Parts: sequence; C-alpha cells; structure tokens
Amino acid sequence: MEEEEQKKVIDLVKELVHRLVSQNPQNPNFENSLRYALRILSSRLTPSIAPDASAIAESIKRRLATQGNSSDALTFSDLFSKFSSKTGPGSVNNKWALLYLLKIISDDRKTSKAVVNSSTLLPNLPLNDSHLTNHFNGKESRKLGWRSNGVLLLNKDPENLREISFKEFVNLVKEENEVSEEVLVRDVLYCSQGIDGKHVKFDATVDGYVLPDLVKVPRATHVMVKKLCELGWLFRKVKGYISESMDGFPAEDFGTVGQAFCSALQDELSAYYKLLAVLEAQAMNPIPLVSESASSGNYLSLRRLSVWFAEPMVKMRLMAVLVDKCRILRGGAMAGAIHLHAQHGDPLVHEFMTRLLRRVCSPLFEMVRSWVLEGELEDIFAEFFVVSQPVKAESLWREGYRLHAGMLPSFISQSLAQRILRTGKSINFLRVCCDDRGWADAATEAATAAGTTTRRGGLGYGETNALESLVVEAAKRIDKHLLDVMYKRYKFKEHCLAIKRYLLLGQGDFVQYLMDIVGPELSEPANTISSFKLAGLLESAIRSSNAQYDDPDILDRLRVKLMPHGTGDRGWDVFSLEYDANCPLDTLFTESVMARYLRIFNFLWKLRRVEHALIGAWKTMKPNCITSHSFTKLQQAVKLQLLSTLRQCQVLWNEMNHFVTNLQYYIMFEVLEVSWSNFSNEMEVARDLDDLLAAHEKYLHSIFEKSLLGERSQPLYKSLFNLFDLILRFRSHADRLYEGIHELQARTMESSLSSRDERKTRRQTNHTSSEPGSWLSDGRKALTQRAGEFLRTMGQELGAVAKEYTSLLDGFVAQLPVQQHVDLKFLLFRLDFTEFYSRLHPNV
Amino acid sequence: MDPEAARTARESLDLAFHMSNMLDTGLDRHTLSVLIALCDLGLNPEALAAVVKELRREPSTSPPMLTTPPSLP
Repeated sequence: MEEEEQKKVIDLVKELVHRLVSQNPQNPNFENSLRYALRILSSRLTPSIAPDASAIAESIKRRLATQGNSSDALTFSDLFSKFSSKTGPGSVNNKWALLYLLKIISDDRKTSKAVVNSSTLLPNLPLNDSHLTNHFNGKESRKLGWRSNGVLLLNKDPENLREISFKEFVNLVKEENEVSEEVLVRDVLYCSQGIDGKHVKFDATVDGYVLPDLVKVPRATHVMVKKLCELGWLFRKVKGYISESMDGFPAEDFGTVGQAFCSALQDELSAYYKLLAVLEAQAMNPIPLVSESASSGNYLSLRRLSVWFAEPMVKMRLMAVLVDKCRILRGGAMAGAIHLHAQHGDPLVHEFMTRLLRRVCSPLFEMVRSWVLEGELEDIFAEFFVVSQPVKAESLWREGYRLHAGMLPSFISQSLAQRILRTGKSINFLRVCCDDRGWADAATEAATAAGTTTRRGGLGYGETNALESLVVEAAKRIDKHLLDVMYKRYKFKEHCLAIKRYLLLGQGDFVQYLMDIVGPELSEPANTISSFKLAGLLESAIRSSNAQYDDPDILDRLRVKLMPHGTGDRGWDVFSLEYDANCPLDTLFTESVMARYLRIFNFLWKLRRVEHALIGAWKTMKPNCITSHSFTKLQQAVKLQLLSTLRQCQVLWNEMNHFVTNLQYYIMFEVLEVSWSNFSNEMEVARDLDDLLAAHEKYLHSIFEKSLLGERSQPLYKSLFNLFDLILRFRSHADRLYEGIHELQARTMESSLSSRDERKTRRQTNHTSSEPGSWLSDGRKALTQRAGEFLRTMGQELGAVAKEYTSLLDGFVAQLPVQQHVDLKFLLFRLDFTEFYSRLHPNV
Repeated sequence: MDPEAARTARESLDLAFHMSNMLDTGLDRHTLSVLIALCDLGLNPEALAAVVKELRREPSTSPPMLTTPPSLP
C-alpha cells in the first residue's frame, strides 16, 4: 500500500519533471532534474501554515483586489466558490493545498518575473544562441535585470536578505525577551480577574500588580503590562467590596440599597467576565495570516489587549470610585452619592450609571411607594429618608415621623420629600388616630390616576416625574380624605367654634350667667373651693343660657379646672374652664395649645370680671330720686362734701368704664372675631393637615399678639393687670362709699321721722354693724360730723385711687404706641378718641 | 471511475485551470492535473511549488540552488 503510493508519487513526479523540463527548449539532464525534484520534495514534509482553504482564497482575493483588478478578484471568488462546492468522488480533495500551491507559484513568478522574462527571452535572441554562453546564462540574465531596473535589486534575492535579517531580528527579540508576549498576555488576562499570573504578581507593598524587574522584557512592554494591570487592581477592589459586603450581610446592617448596589456591581462584573472569556479564547487562536515569512503570532498582543480593555477600564474605574465613595454610606445617602456621579457628559458613563442607579434605587423607590400608598415603613435597616419615632398617639403627627436629611438622595427635592413624608404620615394618622379605613380607596384611586399600578417595582430611577406625579396624586387624595374625616367625622370646625364660644367667652349670656353664679363662690379663698360645686354651677349656667341648645357632645367636653394655687389666692385666681379634646383632635389641640387657650381664657375672664365688677358698681351708683331726695335734709357743708365725693366717684367710674368697655370691645371684635374670620377662611382653603395646623397656629398667635399676651408686650400686660386690680379695688371703695351713704340716708330718714324708734334702731345697728353704725347712735350733730369724716376719708381714698389710676393709665397709654402690632394702634385710637389723654399729656 | 466522477473531476480541473491562469502561474493543463494528483496524495504544496519554480528557472543540470537547500521543515 505504502509502496504503491510511493511508486505512484514517483511516477507522478517523473511525469511532472518531464512536463516541466520538456517545456524548456534547453533540455538538460532529465535524471538530474528528477533527483533534484525528489530531494526538494522529501525535504519539506509539512506545510508551514494551517490548512484553511477559505482563508487562503481570501488572501488571494485581497491581493488581486489591491493589485487593482477588482473584477479579477470577483471572478476569482466566484471560481473559488464553485470549486469548493465540488465534492464527492472525482473532485479535488486537498483543495487548500492546491490553492496554496497556486498562490506560491504565482508569487514566485511575480517576484522573479524580470528574471524569468529575461531568461525566457534570452534564448530566443539569435545573438545569444550559443552553447558557450549557456553556462553563464543565469548570471548574465541577472546582470541584465540589475541593469534594466535598479529597483528590482531589492526584490532580487528576497529570501536570502529578508530571511536573514528577520532571523537576526527574531534572535534579538528572543534575547531581549525572556518571556514571550503570549505568556504576558495570558498573565495580564489572569491579573484582570484578580489571579496572579506566572510572572505578573500582586505586590502588597506597591499595592498593585507588578512584573518583577528580574524578568527581562523591554521597557515599553513593562509599562504596558503595568497599565493593563490597573484593571486587575480595580477589579480586586470592587470584588473585595462585594464579597465583604455580602459576607457580613445579615449581621451588619448593610441595608437593601447596599445589597442592590452589590448585585448591580455583580452583574456588571459578570458582563466583564464574559468579555474576559472571549478574550481568553481568542488568545489561544493564532491569526489566520497567510504569509510565508512572518510567523503568525497569537491573535492577542498586549496592544490589542489594551484596546480591548479601554471600555471595561472606564467602567471598572467608575465602579471602584463608587465603591470607595459608598464604603461608609448606606441607604438613601448611598443612592445620592451615586447619583452625583451620574451627572456626567460622557454618554457611556451616563448610561452605565443610570443602569446602576436603576438597580440601586429600586428598593428606595419601593419604600417610597409603599409609604405613600400604604403608609408602611418597610425600613429594617434605617435607609429611608423618613424616620419614625415611637410616640403617643396625640403627638404622632408632630413628632412621629421626620425627614432624615442625610438619607435624602439629591434627586428627590426637599419639597417632594416633605410631600412624601406628609402623605405617609397622613395615612398613619388616619389609621392610628382616626381609626379610618377609607384611605385605602383614596390610595388606590391615586395610584390609578398617576398611571402606576399599586404593585411592587413600578418605579425606577430616572422616572422622577412619575414618582412626583404619584406622590402628588396620592397626597392630594389622602390629604383631602384626611381633612374630610377631620371636618365631617370629628367636627373640627364645630370644636373650634365651641372653644371660641366657651373658652374665649364668645357666648355672652352664658358668660354673664356663669359670672353671676360663680362670683360669690370665687370670692372665697382658693383652698376652700370645691371643684364639684363649681362644676355644678357650670352645669346650671349652661342650662340657663342659650348654650343648652348646643351639641351635648361639645358641652360634655367643657370642664371646670382649678389651677394649682398658692396661699392667699382667691377663687378668681384659680378658676378656669377647660375643653377636653380626645384622640384625633388632640393633635390639633395639643397640651401646649390648650395651655395657650387657658392663658387667653384667664385674661378674658379677668377682663370680664372687671367689667362685671364695674357694672355691679354702676348698679349701686345709679343716681336716682330717692338718694338725691334724701340728701336735701343734710347740712349744707356735708351735702357739698357728699356731692363732690359722689361726683369724684362717678367720674372715676366713667373713666374706668370707658377704658374697660373699649378694651373689651377691642378684644372681642378686633381681635377674636377678626382672627376667627381669618381662621375660617384659611380652614376653607386648607389642603392638608399641616395647612390646618398652621392656620390654627396663626389664629392663636394673632390672638396672643393682639391681646397683649405675647412675649414683647409683657410690661404692657403687667400694667394692664395692675389697672384691673385697681379697678377692682375701686369697686370695693365705691361699694363702701355707697353702703355708708345708704346707712347715712337710712339714719337721716330715721331721725327725721320720730325719735321713738331711735333706741331700737340704735340697738339694732349696734347689734349688727360695729364701726360705720357707731355714728348713728349719737345725735344729729354727731351724725353730721361722722358723715363728714367718713366722706372725707372716702374722698381721700378715692382721690388716691384716681391718682394711681391716672398714672397707671398714662403709663399704659404711653406704652401702647411702642408696640409693634398694628392693631394695637386701633386700641389706642379708640381709647384716646377725643384726644383727651394726649392733650392732657402732650408728651405722649 | 464512473462518468459522474469523471465529470466532476473534469469540471474541477477546469476551475483550477481557470484560477491558475488568473493567477498567472504559467502552468499548462496537464502539469496542473499532475500537481493536483500530487497534492491529493498529501505532498507538501510548498515543496511542490519549489520544484516547479526550480525546474522552470534552472533547466541546467547543476542548479546552484542545490547547495543551499530551502528552510527546513
């Protein structure tokens, strides 16, 4: 078999040599040629390139195309496709070999064309047709070739010159490079996965992958390896962060955002692994180069690698930066930090960061969604920017939840965050305090209106508009629902009105009646007063006034409260009314708000009491015919004294009444009613509970400021109270005066009638009254004397009161314009309408 | 050899000859067929090319190239 084939080969070679040699006219020794051919054939047993027919065809085609005859190239590729489609018996088996053969022959002919031409032409020349020159034929022709075309010199002997120099170069390279490039490429590929290569290893001291100096490679390669290994260093960092975070996960509170971040990084890394796998596969394959001289290197060189690594390097660098940045951050803060890096002009970076952020933010957005629509705070790791605090129900709204500024990512604006906070808070408030279930419908409605479903994962980073619209829709509906509940179910407005009517003494008849019946009781020392009795009195006051028609629910909330009292306090000082606001309402009527209401009440109560006292004084002071008639019988001097004292008293009363009435009017109409009307308007337009709270706060504040209860009007308030005290003192003086006058009158009447009853009367008066009655016992003269004395002391006391009053009032009026509040100007205007005070004291 | 195979062989040879002409190898049909047969027998095409080249250029009995054999396999 073997021999047979061998024989066949020899036969064929013989034939070939015969054919080739017979072409030549100079027929040399056939045997020699045959031996030569066989020797050549036996010397090369394997081809130097990989058998790939199509690659060779491609190379031929390209060469034809570059030579300028593209139609030839097309024809050739057509021929080749036909040729390669011939299969089966009879076809050429070793197609690539044939093609390669053709190619080499063609190349050879081209490189030695000049020679061949000259050598083939030469024999035809008649001049050279000589056997003698035959021997030198070749040399001759070469010389001719040199002469005819100097450029051909280089092509002349390509194999020798080129191959020798190439070999020299290879030797040089081999000497210089202990390590071949393929090995380095493999090392770099390992390094970029964080694995030490054969030569390139991680050096902890330098903190990076290094190619040791001992390995002899050119400087350029050194630098390039170093550059490429940066990727490995970055990779180590990112990988280290991921494994560190994931290992410590449940133990440390790493957080869902952190987990999302890690998983996003992991995904990026797996894409990177894919690239590396492809590169590694490529590194094994040689390039299908078809050229006999250059040894075809591996596909991947360090340079190619550096091109391939350009994009992953950018990404890896970004990831490393993020990892550094996020090491200490958690939750919203982490998302915010990553977001800051996403603001980048490079579309590659931007797109990468957006992809990353979409993953990172999804837990955060999920939290927002469930918070806004369900009021659930799914935040085990404290990553959300809303923080809850365990508080009692009444302070849930104010203190239960707050924004955590550190966790607020910068792509959510402050106002949006506030909105988010409030919406969730409203839901929780409805659920906890109002015991309401209707919000769920509102939330569903909001979700459908916003176009997102209530399912999870509906929102993502970059859809801030969608988020905003969802929040806005939800907030609108939930807030509306909450206000509805507050207004309709819990009757907030009615309660406010009730407070105004009872605590702010807006219900006149009720206050009047209450004042009348509790007055005597409150004059007792504070420690002897029973609050039960007062409660009973309050009850009767309600029943006997128009208040009885009010809602019993509201009336039930009205209570008497006695404040802690010191020694010497009277009932007046400790008495106050209280309004009991229960669960959802106590968010609005908190303890501090109620304390302020209480202060206002105390002030108003005192004002009322003073007014009441003045009215009481008027009742006794009213001039009538009986009194005026009775004085006619008095002595002239005493009568004059009496009249002047009475007049003094009347004038003082008038002055006080003017002041108190105007103050009362001012408080009631310019303060309370105006504030109330503003508050009502604001209540109408309030869109959420915060608005309502603000409106209520404003209402209280304006009352406080205008009625001199504020911080700044402390001195004014004090002088006002001194005035009130003085008026009350005046009341007692006036009472005493009129009591004395009545006694005197009675005595005068008595003495003017018969003296028969005198003794009896004297005994009676002696019995009943001790001091003022004493002057009745003496005779008419003594009586007159006594009366004169009494009136004098009374006149003096009244004069002292009047003087003090004038000075206090002056002080008060002088202080009024100093106040900032514009409404107090109206009070001054009202008090000093006739410019009486300002004319009296031009300096004011 | 059945007629089908013969036809395929002839067509293949035609095509190869076409390509050969296009590449300007200067081979005639018969020589080409001999070369194809040798290739099919597994001979190294590089060696065959060398033979063609040498024998065509150096028809003389003592080629100078004999002393410098081409690169070893």
